[in-house]
Amino acid sequence: MLTSVATTLGRSTRRRAIAGALACAAPLALVSSAGLAQQAPPLKIGVILPLSGNFTPAGEDALTGLKIYFDSINNEVAGRKIQLIVEDEQGKPDVALTKARKLVEGDKVQILTGFVSSAVALAVNGYAREKKIPMIVSADGGANELTMPGPLANPYLVRTSQNGRTPSAAAAEFVFKQGWRKVAAITSDYAGGFDTIGGFAQAFCRLGGTITQEQYPPLTTNDYGPYVTNIQRDADAVVTFLPGANGLKFANQFIELGVKDKIPLMDIFGQIAYEPYLKQLGANGVGIYSVLHYTPMIKTPENERFVKEYEARAKRLPSDNGPDAWVGAKAIAEAAKAVDGKVEDTDKFLAAFRTLKFDSPKGPIAFDKFGQVIQSMYVRKVEKVGNDYVNTPIQTFNNVDQFWPFSLADLEAYKYRYADLKGSMGDCKKVLEKK
Amino acid sequence: MIWVIHTLNGVSFGILLFLLAAGLSLIYGLMKILNLTHGSYYLVGAYIGSTVIATTGSFILALIIAPLVVAVLGAVMERFFLRRFHLDELPQTLLTFGFLFIFADLSLWIWGGDPIMLPKPAMFSRSIDIGGLGYPTYRLLLIGVGLLVALILWWFQERTRVGAMLRAGVDDAEIARAMGIDVSLLFTLVFAVGALLAALGGVLGGPIIGAGPGTDFDVMLLAFVVVIIGGLGSLRGALVGGLVVGLLDNFGKIFFPEFALFTIFVPMAVILSFRPTGLFGRG
Repeated sequence: MLTSVATTLGRSTRRRAIAGALACAAPLALVSSAGLAQQAPPLKIGVILPLSGNFTPAGEDALTGLKIYFDSINNEVAGRKIQLIVEDEQGKPDVALTKARKLVEGDKVQILTGFVSSAVALAVNGYAREKKIPMIVSADGGANELTMPGPLANPYLVRTSQNGRTPSAAAAEFVFKQGWRKVAAITSDYAGGFDTIGGFAQAFCRLGGTITQEQYPPLTTNDYGPYVTNIQRDADAVVTFLPGANGLKFANQFIELGVKDKIPLMDIFGQIAYEPYLKQLGANGVGIYSVLHYTPMIKTPENERFVKEYEARAKRLPSDNGPDAWVGAKAIAEAAKAVDGKVEDTDKFLAAFRTLKFDSPKGPIAFDKFGQVIQSMYVRKVEKVGNDYVNTPIQTFNNVDQFWPFSLADLEAYKYRYADLKGSMGDCKKVLEKK
Repeated sequence: MIWVIHTLNGVSFGILLFLLAAGLSLIYGLMKILNLTHGSYYLVGAYIGSTVIATTGSFILALIIAPLVVAVLGAVMERFFLRRFHLDELPQTLLTFGFLFIFADLSLWIWGGDPIMLPKPAMFSRSIDIGGLGYPTYRLLLIGVGLLVALILWWFQERTRVGAMLRAGVDDAEIARAMGIDVSLLFTLVFAVGALLAALGGVLGGPIIGAGPGTDFDVMLLAFVVVIIGGLGSLRGALVGGLVVGLLDNFGKIFFPEFALFTIFVPMAVILSFRPTGLFGRG
């Protein structure tokens, strides 16, 4: 309740800024289109991102990535101007739903994109499905169910970022290969945390490893001292998923209490080894492992070009949300091109979308039939390069789909859902029990 | 030996809570203002501290400059805004609520939305050995500084003339005024000291709790819990309340991890049901 008022104020100023920017852009659009006799109506894209509140950095990253791509094609595709209408959802599902309604029914957008928080993505999902509006999840929103067969599946949804489970599975592969068999897990106490550590437990158990300790600090934890002190000192590795400021708070205690020098740390999703935090952790962060579908250190022409442009705009290295949104923007444009700009034919547009294949800053991209991106997973290690601390990729898993290393049938055969396993992630018999 | 460490963790967090809560308690005790901006003083203090450390590299300077700047902010708030609504509780509370948003947005604008942790001073970034386990000297420093602050505050309140005026003001502002005490100046002073303490907590707590959008609300909530347990208006209450909450929170998380969210609030509810005015509060 308190926060809601706080962020409303934040938003209104931001909104004014955006309105101002649009007002400036509008005359330009008129001038440039005046020469063409029959300009097709603009392609309106509703962008739903958190631009105030806790998720602000992720929202701004995504917006920058999106704009980098659209600017590179002069905001025009298949003869249609691209018009972005940006709405701040403040990290709140109810606000996001209101904004989605406003965009679809008021502004008549043809496409919705963005979505950082899973809760926000889930809230808009039902509405987009009902309205048959293409929903391109091109930022963090990683709820597994959005792209799996089941009650939440949405034929109008495509995700260009990642799902919650896959980076965990890649982390399990890496940890096991290092010979670390007994791991202590520390995960934030909420649905995203259970999904992540559950995905890890499943893959890790199948390989033959065990989680020997589970700790679930609430998202509101201020002092991580007690949790770090409580870590079993004979664990082979510590595995974490601690989103937002939690990762930074945990890392500081983990370093300060001297545990980092003794036990390796695997940070699923790179929540601790998050680029803006690396500068703060400095030399203390060196050696932290993480798994994510991106690192700015990928050495490909696509990525080097992207990072350079991103740094020029945002004055910092991109997190995964930047390239995720870039891929979303490029895929929207490519799919629009494939249907000659007739985006209103939703089925054709989405069918074209799902057959796309291209090289992106995060590596080669394709989509599966459920609308989930197929991409690479990177195991990264914090290193010092020059004067900067960066996530160097040390192992890459290519063409990873959302079920990897399982098949859909494999995954569906398991009896327990991840959230049910809280407290018994270490019991591999239960984790792997079939229906 | 691990229990020594758990205890030290709890005490150091408790001391930090004391720093956060002391100002809130002082201000309420004297002026009956429920200052919702209190968490913002922490946040702004931590941010200014981080800027000072980034530019000068000195933690000590941060420890001096940030609290002073925030103390001035607090004094200005009291002198030019809150004063207009003397003893008018609802407008005062709403006004401090408004300031909370102003500080939050200004901070977001100036320092961006990424959470930060303040770096520890180089001298206290190491660990000492306690029974084979490392323990960070910074937390010991925090305990030391916190106790020193408690001692200074106690001396100020009990042994100085201004402290005596303060106590008189808390007991009965009207009579104090009639006795010739400049209550107006006292109000501004106490408000500045309250803000100063929270900002000091911001710099000292920066390496442990950090700062970012939303930290102002978190800290405000913690400070309220401590003050409610300890009793509004009592410094001793803030110290004991802080330690009680710090230790209960720590051991609660170890013994009852599934109730980690409530380890702070359950003790509050229990204590309130037996002592509605808190441990050291006067009814």
